This record gives sequence, C-alpha cells and structure tokens, in this order.
Amino acid sequence: MTALSAIRQPQAVPEPAQELNGILHLLTCGSVDDGKSTLIGRLLWDASDLYDDQRETLKKSGRTAGGTAHPDFSLLVDGLVAEREQGITIDIAWRYFDTDTRRFVIIDSPGHEQYTRNMASGASHADVAIMLVDARHGVKRQTRRHAGILDIVGVKRVILAVNKMDLVDWSQEKFRAIEADFRELTLRFGFRDAIAIPVSAVGGDNVARRSEHMPWYTGPHLLEHLERLPARDITPAGPFRLPVQFVLRDGLDFRGLARTVSSGRVCVGDRVMDALSGKSAHVLRIATMGRDLEFAQQGQAVALQLDTDIDVARGAVLSCPQTQPAVASHIEGRLVWLWETPFDPRAGYLLRTATDLAPISSIKIKSLLDLETLAAKPAQGASVNDIALVGITLGRPVAVDAFAALPGTGAFLIVDATTGASVAGGGVSSAANGSAADAASTFRLTREMLEKGICRDLGSGENDRHEFRRRANEAALLLRAAGVDVKLEL
Amino acid sequence: MTAPFSHLDVLESEAIHIFREAAAQFRKPVLLYSIGKDSTVLLHLARKAFFPQKPPFPLLHIDTTWKFKDMIAFRDKTARDFGLDLIVHTNREGIERGINPIDYAPSVYTDVMKTQPLKQALDQHGFDAAFGGARRDEEGSRAKERVFSFRSPGHRWDPRRQRPEMWNLLNGRLGVGETVRVFPLSNWTERDVWRYIAREGLDVVPLYYAARRPTITRNGQLLVLDDDRLPLQPGETPQMKMVRFRTLGCWPLTAAVLSQASDIESVVAETLSARTSERQGRLIDHDQTGAMERKKQEGYF
Repeated sequence: MTALSAIRQPQAVPEPAQELNGILHLLTCGSVDDGKSTLIGRLLWDASDLYDDQRETLKKSGRTAGGTAHPDFSLLVDGLVAEREQGITIDIAWRYFDTDTRRFVIIDSPGHEQYTRNMASGASHADVAIMLVDARHGVKRQTRRHAGILDIVGVKRVILAVNKMDLVDWSQEKFRAIEADFRELTLRFGFRDAIAIPVSAVGGDNVARRSEHMPWYTGPHLLEHLERLPARDITPAGPFRLPVQFVLRDGLDFRGLARTVSSGRVCVGDRVMDALSGKSAHVLRIATMGRDLEFAQQGQAVALQLDTDIDVARGAVLSCPQTQPAVASHIEGRLVWLWETPFDPRAGYLLRTATDLAPISSIKIKSLLDLETLAAKPAQGASVNDIALVGITLGRPVAVDAFAALPGTGAFLIVDATTGASVAGGGVSSAANGSAADAASTFRLTREMLEKGICRDLGSGENDRHEFRRRANEAALLLRAAGVDVKLEL
Repeated sequence: MTAPFSHLDVLESEAIHIFREAAAQFRKPVLLYSIGKDSTVLLHLARKAFFPQKPPFPLLHIDTTWKFKDMIAFRDKTARDFGLDLIVHTNREGIERGINPIDYAPSVYTDVMKTQPLKQALDQHGFDAAFGGARRDEEGSRAKERVFSFRSPGHRWDPRRQRPEMWNLLNGRLGVGETVRVFPLSNWTERDVWRYIAREGLDVVPLYYAARRPTITRNGQLLVLDDDRLPLQPGETPQMKMVRFRTLGCWPLTAAVLSQASDIESVVAETLSARTSERQGRLIDHDQTGAMERKKQEGYF
C-alpha cells in the first residue's frame, strides 16, 4: 500500500464507490503489423472488465486473427471506419480498464510512419511504453525512432514486447538476440527501467498468463510487470511552480491566480514570486470550491489569493524567491516535428509554454537525430517526424525550466502563427537567463510605441492588459512576417 | 489536510485544468448541457474550476421536444439554482416538417433535431468553443478524439487531421473559421461518473433511479412511455415495471433497464457490476456501422 492510499482511507467512501489508488498510463507503439492492436485487444479480453455486449460484438464480427481460430482482438481498439477497413491504426485510441487497485489507461498509437506525430502526441501522456517488435524482424528503424521520441517526451519506463514468438517456434535464441539489441538501444537514452518480454498476442502467451511454450523465460508476464510498476509519480518533488492559467475574480476583494500546481507545494503564508516581473507577495488564501486549503501540492487545481496585488496574468510562473525558473529570451531544446509542412525559416511561429504564448524571432535547427546510428547529424531543416536539436530566440522573455528536471514547466509547443497548428513539441534543455545579444538590425517595439498607437484605446484593467499583450504579440508577428527582426520591450 | 490523489482526484484536477485552459483561450465558450449524468458532473466541475466566480459561459440545451418531462424540469431547476444563463434551442423548421423519432430513421431524426440545431445555435451566437460531456470510453470513434477537438468551418470533424495534443499543453489557437469542442471528461468512465456523483453528493434526474414506470417492450428493448405520442402496436399493453435508465436521451429512443436500484449507493453498486455497456440503451447508435463517427463528422457532439 502506498503512503497516499493510507492518507486517503479516513475519508470513508461507500464500499462500492471505492476509489482506485492511481492511474497508470500505458502507451503501445511499434511498426505496422507488429500486432499492437491485437496485443491490447488481448489484454482487454483476458484481464479487463470488458462488457458482455462488447465481447458478443467481437465474436459476432466473424473476423478471426490471421490464420487462427481466435477472434480478431484488434477490433476492440480500432474505432474508426477507415481503420477497420484498412486494418491499420491511424490515430491514437484511448482505452480504460481497472484491476482491483488500479486504473489502466491504454494509449494505442499508430505504427505507420506517416502517423508518427500521433504516436508522439500519445507518448507525452504515458508513464510507461510497450514497444512492440515482430520476433521475425527484431528491432527496426521505427523502433529506434520511437525510443527517441519516448526519450524526448519524458517517458522513463519501457517494455519491449517481442511478439509473434509462435512464428519463430518460440525460439529463445531469437529472443535473446533481439533483447541484446534492445539493451543497446535503451542505454543510449535516459530510460529508468527497461525489460524485454517474449509474447504471442494472438494466443495470449505471456500477456496475462505465463506461456507454456517458453519455459526458458522466467521473468514476469506483461500484466504482472504492469501491475508492479509505480503509478504516475505524484509525490511533490522539486521546487514550487504554478504557471498562472486564469485570473478569477469575485467582487473587489478576491483576485485568484488559478491553475494546477505543476511541481512542489505551497502553503498559506509563503512568499511567492513572479520571475518575469521580479515582484513578490505572500499567499493569503488557497481557494477551492467547498473549502480553503492550508497548502496545495503538485497535481492540485487551486486558486491563490495574494496579500498584495502584484499584477500577474496568464503566462507568469509563480515560484519561491529562492528557486525561480529561468527568465529567458533564448532557449535550447529538443523537439519532434509534428506537422506535414516542414520547418520554414520565414514563417511566423509562437512558443507555447505551460501557459505563455510568445512570438519567436528565429529558430535555428542545429542537428537531427540519425535514426540508424542514433548520432546527431548537422542539419538546417526539419520535417515531419524528425527529431531535432534547436535554438529558439524569442521576441520577449518567458519563464521556463529544464524539461529533465521539471517537465511541467519545461515542455513546449511550437505553434504556427497563421493556422494555429501545433507544428512541434519538445523540451527545454537549457535556458539562459537574460536576453540574447541584440543584433544591430533588430527593431525594438516598446510599450510606449504601442501605448501611443494601436493600444491607445486600452486602460489598465485586467482585460485591457491582456488585450495589450495580445496586440503586442500580433504586431510583432506581422513585422516578423514582413522580414523585420523584432524585439518586444513591454 | 488534503490528501491527493485517488484516481477521481486526478480526473477532477484534469477536468478543472481543461475548463480553465479553454476559458482563458477562447473568446466565447458555451457549455452544451444535455441534462444527463455526464452533464451534471460537467457542470459541477465547471463550477469548481471558476469558484468563487460563476462559470464564465452560458448553458446551451438543444431541445428536440422529445426529452422526458422530468429532464426538462431538472434542467430549469439546475439553471435557476446555480444562477446560470440557459439558452434553449429547437430546430423549428424540423418541428414544422413533422420530423419525429417514431416515424423517421434515427439517423434522419438525429441530424434534423440534434446536429442541425446544434450547428444553428453555435453559429447564431458566435460561440467559438463548446464544452461537452463526451467520454472516450463511450464508443470507438470517441476513443480517438482529442480534448480540444477542432472543427473546420461547417463544424465538420476530420479524424485524419487532428492536431497533436501533447502533455497538458492545450493549444487553443484557432485557424480561420475553426471552432472547438472541448471534452473535460475525456478520460472518465461511466463508473467514474457514478462514483463521483456519489462522492460529491450531486443531484441527478430522478429517471436514473429505479421506480415503477409504465413500460412496453419493443424489439427487445424496454421503453418507458412519457406521454401519449408513441402509438402502440397490436398486442402492446403498457405495464408498470420497476425500471431505471443508464443513459438518457429522447424518450422513444432510449431504453430502460429492469432494476431495483432506487438510491445512489445501489446505482453505483449496479454500475460497478454491470455486464453490458451503457450505449446498449441508445437506439440511435445501432442504426448502422460507424454511425457515431459519421454523425460526428457531420457536426454531432
């Protein structure tokens, strides 16, 4: 029993309404035809609380898994008509099942290379990833690409499921060779926990029960291993961070800075600081509906009322004065390019952090990850599915952390300013305090210029300040699109 | 001291995050309130997200005129009790054409009386985002949907061109003519909804609790007669039976289940031990293969 469930117990919930101890988010990925959907279907079929009508529908479909008498378990997962017709997974599918103590969320991701961005999207939500390979083919380019993406989005635990062992006569030799390749692969990345398991999804071997065909394998079967893994880490580790998401108001007296605490904890009376403005105040009240709290920690959605109004808005990151985030207008990061349109140095992009959205003056692609050698190779461009090291220069500073230490305030998206699409996602590897040296050609767009011109009609109220910032961002974007390097000084 | 986190605490925090994220980024959101248990939980979470403010958006109900009378009474009381603006929209043209769930195929009825008026209402009021209570565990195409689900002009959903959605960074920047459906309950299951209703002590429409009601059995489904608009077929005689609903929609299209569960504890117990999925009771979903996906592409929630 975890410490948290021990804390939970005094709150007597009626017997049948029992709440589960945690949620484990499980990603499955692999190449086309490795049998991902079948594996999940099998897991649901054997281990979960599937409803009878879902079981009936599957049996009645009349489809069987390739050459066997088993129902086609993949039908439990592939939900879109096009997917069923083509027999492939296009987009991630979310499935839920409970064991006695735990909620499992299965995120099934597509194997097709052209849908890798959907896989990256799914992976960012996962606590553990099952990477599937076909026992006949072993670790492939796509496996390496997936490992690279898992590493970038912060997945720390991986399982290699070597599937279709039935098609290689349950060969230990085959399995060990693939396991060795996998070890080599995982050593290149920052995984905390990696294990290879030989399975046959169609037959259910080592999925939710031990296989009779592979007595030489003495490790845990898949479900056994999954039940042993810790659920999402929710202990309040790291320094306090609350990226301001929304400002709540109630009459003249209440102004609440709302969001979920992204790391650490905060108590009533603590001094908190907005790194962007350098202003600080004390926490007067931590409000939630129903009751006020004495403290709030990572994962709790709250609203902080401060003792003095320090004029912070969405985009600010509250912290302790001693452990502030970096305030940077240049960041180094790793990203995966998600959009079909390749990176275009002339296009307008925005950087989306936890809650901020800032204009980007330039992105420099430094190198791409070579998926054969796993080495960085110099590059200038990036297109869909590429993993790149980049330097990003911003039109104004943002408050961020290193992704490896604080993923909640270290993750970012690159947003296309015109279409609004999320074209890339990544993590900050380093962020320098202060701004990068201004090039001589940089145009400085100042608060005064805006106040005299396009923001002349705005006052000092909350909404107007928000609108001021929006117009400033948009003006910077337009200038940038016209080829002018802009620096916002607000 | 507060103790995080059971799985319900995690789901609650996540939903509050989604509400606040949408309210911060969209110009004019609305909450699509369909009166059922999911809407009840959705509204409760919206109130939590913006406390002590009121939720900064109105409720929108698409009234097909075929909802159970108890549902309409519950809707009006809820809006009144919480002091929220309620917009009720009906497709008048559909009424004039006499489109009803009895004489028309479910696909036609749903399009004319639900999908079309929803699009009309969103367009008329200029809402750029609409919160809905849909859950990914409900149905195959729902399982594929994003939390911020972008719709192209005309409210169409293209499952092949969904935006990547990473971590909890919900990107609400719209392209020209785009709108968004927002699903704060994406990761909840039917079981969670009931567990949460019990935990938070929420009121739901009485039809969710078992009572003796006038029923007929048609095509193997148990229908409750809410008024005299459904013509009885030869041999059909209404019988009083102890029934309740797992899901609520238009009354001639929603089947009841036999049940003795007349309070929240027994409903939760029944839900946790149920052997069939809840959409069994929704007749429109069985109309044709991929029915929900097609409806969604056309703009249904």
